[in-house]
Amino acid sequence: MMPVFLAQLAKDRRSPALIILFIVGSVLATVLFTGGTQAPVTVQIFSEEEQTEEIEAKWEQLLNQEGNMEFVVTEEEEARDNVRQGRSDLAIKLFEDDYEIVTSSNLPTVQYVDQHVRTVFEREARIQVATEEASNPEELRQEIKSQLEDPLFAMEVESTTGEELSAHDMGIQLMYAFTLLVAMFIIGFRVNNVSKDKVDCIWDRVILSPVGKTSMYTGYIAYAFFIGFVQTVIVLMVFNYVLQYDLGERFDLLVVVVAVFTFSMVSIAMLFTGIVKGPEQFYALYPSVIPLIPLISGAYMMPGTITHPVMTFIGDLFPVSHAIEAMIGVTLYDATWQDITQPIIIMILIGVVSMGIGINLVERRRG
Amino acid sequence: MLETVQLTKAFKGKTVVDEVELYLDQGESVGLLGPNGAGKSTTISMISSLLKPTSGDVKLNQKSTIKNPVDLRKVLGVVPQEIALYEELSAYENLKFFGRIYRVPKSELESRIQDTLEIVGLKERQKDLIKTFSGGMKRRVNIATALLHNPKILILDEPTVGIDPQSRNYILEMVRQLNEQKGTTVLYTSHYMEEVEQLCNRVYIMDHGKVIAKGTKSELLSILSNEDTISVQPNRIDEEFLAAVKEIEGVRKVEVSGEEINIIAKKASNIVSELVNVGERHQVQILNFQMENPSLENVFLHLTGRTLRD
Ligand SMILES: Nc1ncnc2c1ncn2[C@@H]1O[C@H](COP(=O)(O)OP(=O)(O)O)[C@@H](O)[C@H]1O
Ligand SMILES: [Mg+2]
Repeated sequence: MMPVFLAQLAKDRRSPALIILFIVGSVLATVLFTGGTQAPVTVQIFSEEEQTEEIEAKWEQLLNQEGNMEFVVTEEEEARDNVRQGRSDLAIKLFEDDYEIVTSSNLPTVQYVDQHVRTVFEREARIQVATEEASNPEELRQEIKSQLEDPLFAMEVESTTGEELSAHDMGIQLMYAFTLLVAMFIIGFRVNNVSKDKVDCIWDRVILSPVGKTSMYTGYIAYAFFIGFVQTVIVLMVFNYVLQYDLGERFDLLVVVVAVFTFSMVSIAMLFTGIVKGPEQFYALYPSVIPLIPLISGAYMMPGTITHPVMTFIGDLFPVSHAIEAMIGVTLYDATWQDITQPIIIMILIGVVSMGIGINLVERRRG
Repeated sequence: MLETVQLTKAFKGKTVVDEVELYLDQGESVGLLGPNGAGKSTTISMISSLLKPTSGDVKLNQKSTIKNPVDLRKVLGVVPQEIALYEELSAYENLKFFGRIYRVPKSELESRIQDTLEIVGLKERQKDLIKTFSGGMKRRVNIATALLHNPKILILDEPTVGIDPQSRNYILEMVRQLNEQKGTTVLYTSHYMEEVEQLCNRVYIMDHGKVIAKGTKSELLSILSNEDTISVQPNRIDEEFLAAVKEIEGVRKVEVSGEEINIIAKKASNIVSELVNVGERHQVQILNFQMENPSLENVFLHLTGRTLRD
């Protein structure tokens, strides 16, 4: 196993351009598509109503109460200028009980901020309605507030479009989606070396050597796993430590998810290798099929956007949707070991089954 | 030492190797000669335990190797017809990889690599990537790879295909030295009869999956002992003329190659004067003719009515 592993490593060491390109690529893609925004975002707020100061003070306090954004009261002129000249993505104009977003872009940040602000405004509106006719509005307000925060019945607040109104961070989700997508490419190309070397007759030499077939496969699989895992962890570390993204408290759990995902994906790639006619066909088909998987898994969209049962079924057959689910759980919802057990078990199952079938098919293809 | 017994391989019902029997004695250099598609590579794959025979056996020192090829693989060095190397790695890295998988002990690996590079004459280029090598150099590394574990038997499958004459001579000389000086037993496959003639003590000739002749060079040539080979150059060749030549008394085989006609005929038949007569009758002028020293090429022609290059 070791010599096979080392030979693969030597090849990548000699021309690491591809790996480096992929690492840089997945970071760049994420930063580009998510607008490079990560918390804490500073949003300038202002008002032009009559009781400007009163309104500004009220909402500044409410908006800053939770979430990882910072809302700062600014002069109207200045806020508008900043948006116009691209110094900030957006500003918010406040009314008594409504708001307007001042922006010229369509970045995910805008939606992200909008979501947060809307939640705050809607909650406030409810409280307002409820307390209007009460004899002791202040007391009731406290009561409602504590109830909302610690509800007797778990209640899901939904907006008109049916989206969950929790602060779901599309930026983080896209980051994971791109990172795993790039990993799928690397893993696939490395697993494909199995059939490339087979066609090049290098296999025959290995078979004639005292190295058994099992340890030969293990060598290729171990290497594909190694390179996929290392490159994904490096990308996550860049996000976490260099770009200061907030990936949650449990980086260790993320690493576990990445490891299981990588194993599962190596197996899928092996299955793919077994199905296609040869390494050339693999190069032609794999890169066009792989990007579809996160797409139908809904990795690029808000959760719940894809509801077609066939689509979700197909998406669930691949590890990427389960991995993203687990990673988002860890990052945004403080998931623990127990919470990610299910996606992990599913990924392992996918891995074991497709590895078995894949190796069998690759074996059968030799005359 | 190594022998095959009724070795047969069929792919989807099509028999491509048909009851082939051949043997190798220790220290011998044996040639396997045949045109493309004769079944040489398939035979070799079965001998080297890469391919399971449909029927028949491969024996090493009287023991079947089909069930348990471990002993065979230890003493075998196989040079495949294709260049089986990592193009992206250097010659040295390739040899290191194959040395490792062939379990050359760590302490000897470095010296074995250098020795082998010396044998194939690529010591100076060892740090260069295979993909920068010429065809002949790749072939040499391809051979070097099979020598790392000091095999007792070396099987080479057309190791000189598509390379320049200089590299070709180098390889032939190299194989000869391995055989003569180190006592390595050699099975050499080729469709170039000159190579086999030059290198091998004994020759098997294969065609359509069958061994159609075997023996030492002189034994094979004696097949032709009561025949002459005549090469004729007429000013033009037409079907009627050829048909008439075939009718001449004593003519066994007629074969056109380019502008020449090769004729095999019984010795001492009055073929030459007849030929001139036939030519006159068909308005064909004989520009030149030559009695040839018989070669293995002629033996093949005699046996099959075709040339090896067909
Ligand atoms: N795996 C295979 N499947 C089907 N036919 C094959 C296979 N390998 C070789 N053949 C056929 O067997 C014949 C002999 O091939 P081969 O042994 O390569 O001949 P040679 O090495 O003498 O040129 C050819 O007709 C070839 O097409
Ligand atoms: Mg061949």
